Amino acid sequence: MLARRTYQFLIVYAAGLALLLGLKYLAGLSDYVIPGPLLVWQTFRDVYGRYAADTLNTLSVAVLGQIVSICLATAIGILGRQTTWFGNFVKVAAYNVQAYPIVALAPIIFILLGDGFITRLVIAAMICYFPLLLVVLGVMSEPVVEIEHFYRITGRMRWQLEVKIRAFENLHKLTTVVAGSATLAMAGTIVAEFIAANAGIGYSIRIALYQSDLGKILVALFHIGISLSVYQALLEWAGARVQRRWEAAGGDVAS
Amino acid sequence: MLLACLIAAAPADAADPVTYRLKWLCNSSTVGDLYADVHGFFAAAGLAVEVRAGGPERDAIKELELGQAQFGVASADQVIRAAAKGSPVVVIAQIFQVNPLQWIYRASRPPIDDLADLEGLTIGVTYGGNDETIMRTLLAKAGLDDRDVTLMSVRYDFTPFYRGRADLWPIYRNSQGIVIADRMTRAGEPVRFFNPADFGVRYVANSVVTHQRLLETRPDLVRRFRQALLQGWQAALDERNEAQALETIARFDPDTPPDLLARQLRVTRELVRPTAGFAIGRIDVKAWRQSEAIMRGQGLIPEPVDVLARLHGPEEP
Repeated sequence: MLARRTYQFLIVYAAGLALLLGLKYLAGLSDYVIPGPLLVWQTFRDVYGRYAADTLNTLSVAVLGQIVSICLATAIGILGRQTTWFGNFVKVAAYNVQAYPIVALAPIIFILLGDGFITRLVIAAMICYFPLLLVVLGVMSEPVVEIEHFYRITGRMRWQLEVKIRAFENLHKLTTVVAGSATLAMAGTIVAEFIAANAGIGYSIRIALYQSDLGKILVALFHIGISLSVYQALLEWAGARVQRRWEAAGGDVAS
Repeated sequence: MLLACLIAAAPADAADPVTYRLKWLCNSSTVGDLYADVHGFFAAAGLAVEVRAGGPERDAIKELELGQAQFGVASADQVIRAAAKGSPVVVIAQIFQVNPLQWIYRASRPPIDDLADLEGLTIGVTYGGNDETIMRTLLAKAGLDDRDVTLMSVRYDFTPFYRGRADLWPIYRNSQGIVIADRMTRAGEPVRFFNPADFGVRYVANSVVTHQRLLETRPDLVRRFRQALLQGWQAALDERNEAQALETIARFDPDTPPDLLARQLRVTRELVRPTAGFAIGRIDVKAWRQSEAIMRGQGLIPEPVDVLARLHGPEEP
């Protein structure tokens, strides 16, 4: 899984780079617009170590942000699953909040929390949280009639059991969206660093943009892609493992 | 009669289509560019110019190479970086004679009369930006380094300065500078500006650029564009045309109150036309040489680029 993810990324990256270089030589563009292979390699050698550390810094915040967003989406999804007025209110409020673009909210978060770690974490969690919430709300609002009916008529249904049944029946969907949301957590952290941070690969990209240095941006993209591929592969592996263990336990949701 | 009609229509049809990419959004810093367009200076020169606003993600030099624009506005550091990477960019006029990038500070603190006064201060800089380069040059001139001051990373908002966490904050003197100074003065905190040029650092700001090939193959087009553009700037900054100039900016920058626009225009005039009768657009060769030397000194370019060979505009006599 890990090897497949990595070489798939390398193929995409190499194809993108080849396309850029093709354009450069076809249109006769200078190294200022698109750096040549030698300059890209020199830049890679110059900033590789620093950008690797920056990317790990970003990834660590993205992982934390994703955990926060999973907790938040699960809590709100469970509250919003109810067909009561409160459940409906939570659902509507959650949908409405999604309408605000994060770049508009970011300056407010920045004023309230200042620059640095917490701001990055909050923005990463907010960007990652919305799609997770949609899936959790969808899963938790959909009764699994054939199983839930039994527990209801025997009087054994509790809310925890209801959540367990619905989660188990949609485990594949949930693990897939958690793995997919890693990309959003990473993107969210980079956006946060771009707007309000002094660290991370997003901050380094911002500086490279100021210097019109596409070579540095290509190196940054390489690091982001590789680290994300590894992280997603780990999440997929963990998801598959959880699924197998639950299935091996016979799917005993009532225990 | 038909022939006469055709001849009469000919100049309009024959207008050369040109795209002109600005460096930033339309505001007082672009008054001459907008004036030349709105008041028909380009049209009179037989040019159909599309003036496009710039922004943080826009790079006129890249657009010149990609053929998306024929003329553009770029800062000196962009030109020098591009030249260092083999870009065929050339400068045909220098709009700002004094760099509008300065620092704002509270008037309640002691004035900065000497560069040594910077010691111990917390100074905002945009890492990777022009202001970092300029501030590091000033600190080096004063014999100071990072240990003698606290450099604070600048982002889009002024909160650290408003809250007093930073003593000096970088600002564009003729646009943001007016707005922030007005806001702070009304809040009972008058401000001053710290201008690097007062301490001998003349880092060139915005200039008009084009592609070397266009200069060689269509010198007449370049000449007509430059002439019309500089006439537009001359007219926009002429005190007698102030009402029309303000009306022109207001069309593109409706959010800035008229009284602030008027103050922005007056400061822009001082930065672009430092003395009455100054020929707008003149290239300050010494300042360009200094800009290259600063970048070279700070390792921002690997080797000299001979920037003077890229200057093809009216030079300082």
